[in-house]
Amino acid sequence: MDWTWFHKWGSPKWFYELSGKWLPWLVSAMVVCLLVGVTWALLFVPQDYQQGLTNRIFYVHVPVASISLAFFPLMAISGTIFLVWRMKLADVVVKVAAPLGAWFTALALASGSIWGVDTWGTWWIWDGRLTSLLLQLFLLLAVVSLRSALEDSEGASRACALLSIVGCINVVVIKYSVDWWNTLHQTSTNFTLATDQANGPEIWVPLIFMIFAVYLFFAISLIMSTRNEILQREKRAQWVMELVAKS
Amino acid sequence: MQFSSFQEFIEMGGYAFNVWSVYGMFVIFLAINLYGPLRKNKQIIRDLKRRYAINSEAQSMPIGANTGSASGSEVIEEDGA
Repeated sequence: MDWTWFHKWGSPKWFYELSGKWLPWLVSAMVVCLLVGVTWALLFVPQDYQQGLTNRIFYVHVPVASISLAFFPLMAISGTIFLVWRMKLADVVVKVAAPLGAWFTALALASGSIWGVDTWGTWWIWDGRLTSLLLQLFLLLAVVSLRSALEDSEGASRACALLSIVGCINVVVIKYSVDWWNTLHQTSTNFTLATDQANGPEIWVPLIFMIFAVYLFFAISLIMSTRNEILQREKRAQWVMELVAKS
Repeated sequence: MQFSSFQEFIEMGGYAFNVWSVYGMFVIFLAINLYGPLRKNKQIIRDLKRRYAINSEAQSMPIGANTGSASGSEVIEEDGA
């Protein structure tokens, strides 16, 4: 098997150049999805028969909360690649994903709270889903502070990779929390193609646009931070010097 | 379209606070995590430019012209991160 792609991916220079070409496309796609998704969600989605227009919150809360679950698996895979193959780029991903993941988790909690205050009648409850997501926020902040406490050393990279792998256990808990402890947060909704149903396409098509938009945003922000970190770590490399001279 | 007037759209059926605060936070969240890395990139490039300029100055200096103890190597090791 040809492994050159793997080594290429490990090359910061190669990643920097390729991602620079991707970014404009990703940004354009994100802007389109965001405009369509937000306009559709705010203006055209029918009101919920019980929640009224608070169902607009769904289109922010669900994409952000579901993508917030991707961070620990992403960091664990990157961390494993770093631990096993010593790929520096993988460690960069572990480093830059943690603070972004904390932002995602915080927004998921805040938007859920504001949705819950009128729908559930409370800002907060120690429900399984809410508690395990709050734990994810603390775990991500722990990864961020571990990195800065150990001052970007080799030990910091290894410790963060390990904590990322351990943190995945909590993702499983978050995912199944609504089935294990059925307290207040609803379980996953099954959408249908039938147009005459309450959970038909007029509800989920705008959601698809929002999920794409938030996924693209996640990729763009992660790529930009990765590029910044590469510049700082490779500042003694010839290609960085040439790149800085040109800009 | 679920609204017959702009006023009605703003009021969000009595849930103006809930809906608009969530969408407001969403916009702030997007802005911080896109504008932040963009601004940092400019700052890194500015810092690296300065660092390379100082380094090349230090290197172009004739040997022995360096007053003080090895200021050149200090510049190279200085970390702006």
